[in-house]
This record gives sequence, structure tokens and C-alpha cells, in this order.
Amino acid sequence: MWKSVIYKEWLKIRWFLAAFTVLGLIDVGYIFLKVRHEFTFSSGKDYWYSILFQRYRYFSFLKYLPLAGAVAVGLAQYLPEIINKRIKLTFHLPLKENKVLLMMHAFGTAGLLVSYLIILFAFWWLSKFFFTNEMITGAFVSVFPWFLAGLTAYFIIALIIFEPVWKYRIYYSLTGVFFLSIYLEPAVTGGYGPVNPVLFVLTGCLSIALIFSAYRFRKGEM
Amino acid sequence: MERISRYILVLVSAIAAAVVLPWLYRMTFDKPVHVPFVVYSCVNNDFMIQETENGKQERTDTHGNKYTREEYEQKLPLMYTRQLLTAGTMPDTINGTAIDMHELLKAKSVFYYKPEMMNTPHPELYPLFESESGRANLEMPDDFFRITWRMEFINAETNKIEEEKSRLFSVALYKKGFTFPSKLVAGIPTNRKSCDEGYFITDSADQLFHLKMMDGNPYVKKVDLPEGLKFRFINCVDFKDKKYYAYLFSEDNGIYILTQDEYELIKLPIEGFNPGNCDLRILGDIFYYNVIIRADDHLQVDVLNYSDYKKVDTYRKNWLTRSELPAGKIAAAIFPVQISMTDKNSNFINFYIEKPSGFAWIIVNLILAGIHLFVLLKRKTKISRHFFDLTVVTFTGFFGYIAVNLFQNKLFD
Amino acid sequence: MVNVIECNNLTHYYGRKLVYENLNIHVGEGNIVGLLGKNGTGKTTTINILNGFLRPRSGECLIYGENSQHLSPETKAKTGFLIEGHIQYSFMNISQIEKFYSGFYPKWNPAPYWELMSKLDVTPKQKISVMSCGQRSQVALGLILAQDPDLLILDDFSMGLDPGYRRLFIDYLREYAKSENKTIFATSHIIQDMERLIDEVLIIGYNRVLAQCPVNEFMSKFKQFSFESEKDISELKNEKFVVNLEQVKNKIELYTYEQEGFVKNFLDRQGIDCKNFREIRMGLEDAFIGLTGKY
Repeated sequence: MWKSVIYKEWLKIRWFLAAFTVLGLIDVGYIFLKVRHEFTFSSGKDYWYSILFQRYRYFSFLKYLPLAGAVAVGLAQYLPEIINKRIKLTFHLPLKENKVLLMMHAFGTAGLLVSYLIILFAFWWLSKFFFTNEMITGAFVSVFPWFLAGLTAYFIIALIIFEPVWKYRIYYSLTGVFFLSIYLEPAVTGGYGPVNPVLFVLTGCLSIALIFSAYRFRKGEM
Repeated sequence: MERISRYILVLVSAIAAAVVLPWLYRMTFDKPVHVPFVVYSCVNNDFMIQETENGKQERTDTHGNKYTREEYEQKLPLMYTRQLLTAGTMPDTINGTAIDMHELLKAKSVFYYKPEMMNTPHPELYPLFESESGRANLEMPDDFFRITWRMEFINAETNKIEEEKSRLFSVALYKKGFTFPSKLVAGIPTNRKSCDEGYFITDSADQLFHLKMMDGNPYVKKVDLPEGLKFRFINCVDFKDKKYYAYLFSEDNGIYILTQDEYELIKLPIEGFNPGNCDLRILGDIFYYNVIIRADDHLQVDVLNYSDYKKVDTYRKNWLTRSELPAGKIAAAIFPVQISMTDKNSNFINFYIEKPSGFAWIIVNLILAGIHLFVLLKRKTKISRHFFDLTVVTFTGFFGYIAVNLFQNKLFD
Repeated sequence: MVNVIECNNLTHYYGRKLVYENLNIHVGEGNIVGLLGKNGTGKTTTINILNGFLRPRSGECLIYGENSQHLSPETKAKTGFLIEGHIQYSFMNISQIEKFYSGFYPKWNPAPYWELMSKLDVTPKQKISVMSCGQRSQVALGLILAQDPDLLILDDFSMGLDPGYRRLFIDYLREYAKSENKTIFATSHIIQDMERLIDEVLIIGYNRVLAQCPVNEFMSKFKQFSFESEKDISELKNEKFVVNLEQVKNKIELYTYEQEGFVKNFLDRQGIDCKNFREIRMGLEDAFIGLTGKY
């Protein structure tokens, strides 16, 4: 049965995931085009110096990419369920409601993660041409919270879309924005090191946020 | 499962509130603390204090005498040398000593340290300059080194290890008893310095080494340390008088200098400095060093002799911290904790939690819990279903109150 | 007989406004029950409660003995649900939607679905979003038939359909239900359609149940009498036996459960002349309007 659940989700988000992955690869490609340009027109040692000692970040163009992808996929996956309250069809299937919701959610999450990993792999692979392990590690420590922010945004969007009362949708949105700001503080390269594990746990906990508002929806909350 | 989902949302939004609300409060009510600028006058043999009071600058000494700007600058000829020369009021002698302009300029030094220089992430890659190039200007090397299980030089253009050079330097370090990997690596990584003195490096056994590249070859000198002395942070300096290589902070918060050529470690007679949360400024001239330590709640200025570093005088001023001022006290009452993602003493992002202070917040929390209980009773709901909510409000006050009302506890049967 | 649907003392409010209270519903196996009522009397509310999408203020609904708020997957597999407006996942095409649903029901039989689809003159890749109302209703019907549920809950199944489709839908449905002993609980605005389909009628007015019994019984007991009178007999409305009374000039229509003789006697005793007194044969729609009023 889970295959059928996933089938529906796949039909909804496949093109968005594909488009986002392509966009991400273009983003990464653009970053390294610039890096290569710097290496050619300036020099490797001066470029390394600016990264190591002048706080230059060559990867800052990645910052809002995961967020954009999460928003697109979240909307593509869950808006069609809310239009005309079609999610009633899913809830009427011979499965426990929370189980089917979590299956849908897990698939969307997995899809998004796969996109993220493809983009990160490209980033890592291209980095190895130009930078040492220390510099790449520093970059990854910095981009990790941005990708966590993307996942978190996806979880929060599901929560917001299922909420039946508009007033609360707005409140949740505000809360979501404030919470996401924790992941997106301006910082030096590697600055997020100590807090990344905690953020990872917080994001993991929020993965079941949508259960709450879907429950409110099911009970006919006005 | 719905209940757990709600609990998580309540807790997470309480955390978000604990970050955002104190931030909003600070944005609205914070006032800057005006820290006076205090230096020792070699003319007066007293401290000269410059303070900003109500937007105006006031200049006094420790006896309360007031000075105009010109009078003030006259008392600090070594600081305002250019100004006095321009005004034609620069004295020829100070305290009986004739002023040699050349010596004066050579002795001037400014050193500045902030805790975030120590508390910062840094990829451990450094450029090792050729210190005996014979050229007037230093040139940025083509490679950067790291010291892990050995010392490696990586060429920036090719991103590949230069094996021969790496082996040469690794062996040199090994022969001097270096225990890999390194702990601290300190130097001046820019080529904008008068000359290159390489790096001061501590190894895993807390031994201190001086590393330079001379004519392409490694120069390694092990600095003898007294038993048990370990360093927390090393700041290399490039002063014209070339008296010492660096200021070093020990694990027990002592400030040391390491003399040039003799490698003598001298501990400065300074108490009360914590590199984890104090700013440090050391202003040197031909007579004195002004060691200015600025903490959250006080300013301490110690004056040391330029020649033998003996303490001459000390000044201290305390003030109320933010949490001791009225606005801060109110904040402590309405916010059980205040969380910030940044800290002025660190470049790391983390949950910096300002713990609860005083007891007013407990009362505020209980009042809020009481209000919540009252509202529940009016709604005629079963109180036992709201046990979690009431507990959260009791412990987290406003944050929990907002959170439990944001995610309504209805319909759970 | 097993009660497939059982609602006991169902009470619901929208905010402060009462929808109905102490509504009791019993639908036995193999019955076809129609829920009739004017707009706003709570038809869709009842459907939502039955499907677990609304929690009633008090009372309970049981489907195959289970509380409708916590239906087990097994019960949901036995229940087919048509949402008002034939709502479906219209981003899918007719092949994708069949593939989607087939994965959930072990008894899934695609034959009736494709049979209906063949009548539609559409390609297998036809997206549901570009189909007409009538075509979509056939998709919905086909999916329910392919699921082969024992209980069908249909909310306003005729909405937006023109007469041809409606007739097709009803005939197919009734034939299917009767031959397989299926239970149906349906609502609709179009009473003539209901008349063709249902065995039992459940009519709700504002705040209460007006009638709940087999259609034949209802039609034989609920009568309309028509006569002429010069008098103004509007106060007759207050009489217990008068369910409804309409007077236009001197033509009077009286609705009641009482027999003709009883009414005639009453009118005579009140001294009300009644010229051309006769019983009017009603269809279900006439009876419905008679029971609930024209306005």
C-alpha cells in the first residue's frame, strides 16, 4: 500500500524535485565558475588568503537555495491536498490517518534529501579541485544549517498548510520565520560548529509537526 | 502521536520565543555603556580619564580636576605627539629626560585583543614566509602549511602537497622533539609587517616552538617552559622596538611576553585578566605600558615600566552591567532565561543562555500559570488534560504562555 | 439485522447555532437510505461526522459497530465515499488514479471502472482536471464500483450533472446495490433522483428530524388534501394534525398524516366549508416540500 501512497506523492513533486536539483547544480556550477575565475585572474594563494584570513566566503550563494527548494516542494506536495479538502480522500483510504500522512511526509523529505545530497556532492567534488580538506570542512559546517533550514521549512510548511484556521496559519508562519532565523544567522566560516548537532535534533523533532494541524483539520476545527 | 506533535511544537516555539522576545526587548530598551578611556600621564604621574557624559566629553584626573581638550593633550604628549608638534606645544623634556623623537616613535606600540580572536573557528592553514629573502617587501608564499601528523605544505595553485618541503620541515620539527599534531599556531599571516618572525607553535605536549623559514630551510627553536606552564592563546606582535615576539596567555590567565632572541618568558604583574571574556589593550611608550583590561562590569588599567615591567600604578572603575540596570532587572523578571545565538566574546554560533537571576521571574511565572488556569476553568475544560501546559507555563513563563496558546490544546480526548 | 450505520443522540452546533439535537439514525444492511433536507439543515455535517471529519458536540456514530471518529483500516476498506462535487485528485489522469487506488484495496476489480471509462470517449492519459462535471462523476462512480465496498456513502451525488448522467448514475447504482446487497447512505438536492434510488427516507428540518421511515410507508401515510374555502383558515396551522398549510386566495393545500375522513370531520366540526375536497397524489418531491415548507 505504501507504494501507492508514494506513487501519488511522486506524481505531485517529481518535476519540482527535478527542477530544484537542476537549479541547485547550476548554483553550484556558478559558484565554482567564479572560483575558477578568481584563481585565474588573481592567484591561488591570494584567493586562499582571502578565505582563510579575510573571512571571504566563496559559497554564500548557496544560502537560500535549500529553503527555496523546500518551499517549492512543500507547496507542490501539500497544496493539492488542501484544495477542496481532497486530503479527505487520503484519510478515507484503509490506513491509519497518521500513518499515511507520515508516509507522504517521509517521501517528500526523502526526495528533498536526495536533491540536497546531489547538490552537496557536486559542491564537494568541485571543491576538491581548489581547496584543502580544512577549507571544505569549514564550508560544509557553514552550509549545513542552511540545508537544515530547508528541511525545517518543509516541515513547517506542511504544518501551516494543514492548519484549518487562517488566524493560526499566520501565527505559525511568523513563528516559523523567527525559528528559521536561528539557522540563518550571519557567521564566519565554521561558526555554526558547536550548535549544528542541536539544530539537527530540533529539525528532526519538527518532522512530525504536521500531525498536529492535520488532526485539527480532521476534527473539523473552525 | 498528535499529543507528542503538539508537545514538540510547544517546546520548540517556547525556545524560539526565548530567543526572539529578549532580542526585541534589547532592541527597544538597551542603552550603551560608556566606558571611559583611561591612560597614565607621564607628566602628571596620574591617570587621565576621558568620559562621555550626556553626549559631552569630559576630561579629568583621579583627583577630580577638570581639563580642556588642549590641557588634556598636554598631559599625554606621548599619545598626542603629532597634535602637539602641530600646535607647537610638544615639550623637549619629560620628567627630566630629553625627548628623542626617533626613540619615541620606536617605543610606541599598540596591542589589541578581543576574546572573539581566541573563540573563533579557523581552518588550520598558514602561510610561511621566507624571512631571509633579501627583498625589501615580504612576498606571500605559494603554499600554506598545516601541522597534523606531520607538517605539510600545500600549493595553493595546484592544491597538492609539496612532498620534499613537507618532509624537510617535518623532520626538523621531529628532531627538536615536536609531538604532532600542533595545538596552537600563532604568527602574523600577512605580508604587511616589517619583517617575518615565523610562527610560535605549541605541540600536543604543550611544548613551545619557534618556526621560521630561512633561505628555504627550516629554523626550529624549542623554547624552554617552566614546569606546568601551558598556553591558551598566543598573539604575535610586530613592534619597532623588537623587544619581544608575542604576548602569551597562560591557562591560568597570566599574561606573558617572550623576549626576542633570548626567548625569555616574563610574566607581567597583571591580575584579573580572563582572555575568555575581557578585552585587552596594551599601549606602550618610552616610559610605560598601559595595560587596559575591560570586562563586563569594570575597567582596570595597570601601568608598567617600559624597562622592567614593574607595576607603577593601577586604576579601577566599576559600573552596572545591563542586568543590574533597571531595564535589565525588568528583563530578568519577565524572562526566566534569555537565549541569544551570538555572543560578543565569540565567533561561534550557539545557544548562549543567560540564566535566570533574582526571584521575580518565579512570581511572574506563577501569575501567568494562574491566569492560564483561570481561563481554563472558565472554559470548563478538564484540568487534568492541561497538566503539561500548566507545567510549561510555570517553568518558562511568557515563552510557555505564548507557546501553549499558539498551539491550542483542544480536541484531545 | 446488523446496523451498518448507527447514530445515537447526535447533537451538533456551529458555534452557538444548533444544527440538530438527538438525531438517531439506523441503516440496516442492504438498505438504501436517502438523507433529505433543505440547505443548512446539516446534511453535509452528518456526512462529515460519519466519515470522521467532524466531531459532534455530543452523541456518537457507529459504522459496522466502530466509532466513526476512529474507524479501523478494515472498516474503511469496506466503505466507499463520494465527496460532494465528485472531488478527486484531478492532477492525475484516469490511468494514474486507477493505479493509485488499486494498491489499497485487495478486492479491487478494475473492470467496472474501465467499462465506465469506455463509455466516456476519453484517452487513458486524460487528465481529470480537464474533464467535465459529468465525466468526473463517472470517474468517481467507477472508482467506487471498482473498490466494491459494502457500504457506500454518497454526498450530493447529483451535483452539477445533467439529467442523462444522473439517470445513468442512479440506475447503475441501484442495480449494483440490489444485486450485491450493498448498503447505501446518500444525500442529494434532487428529490426525483432520490425517489428512483432509495428504500428509506430520512428528512431533517431545522433542528429536528421530520420523517424517518421506508419511502412507501412515508408516501402512503403522508397525504396532501386540497379544497376551496372562502374563510381565512390560517389558524388551522396550529392544529396538531396539520403538518403544513398553504392558502392562496380560496385554494387551500393541507398536509397531514391523518386520514381523509378525520380531516373532513374536523373541518365540518369547525364549520369550515370545503368545496372540491380531494386527496392529491404526491411524488417524493411534493411530499418533501409539503413537509418542509416552500420557504
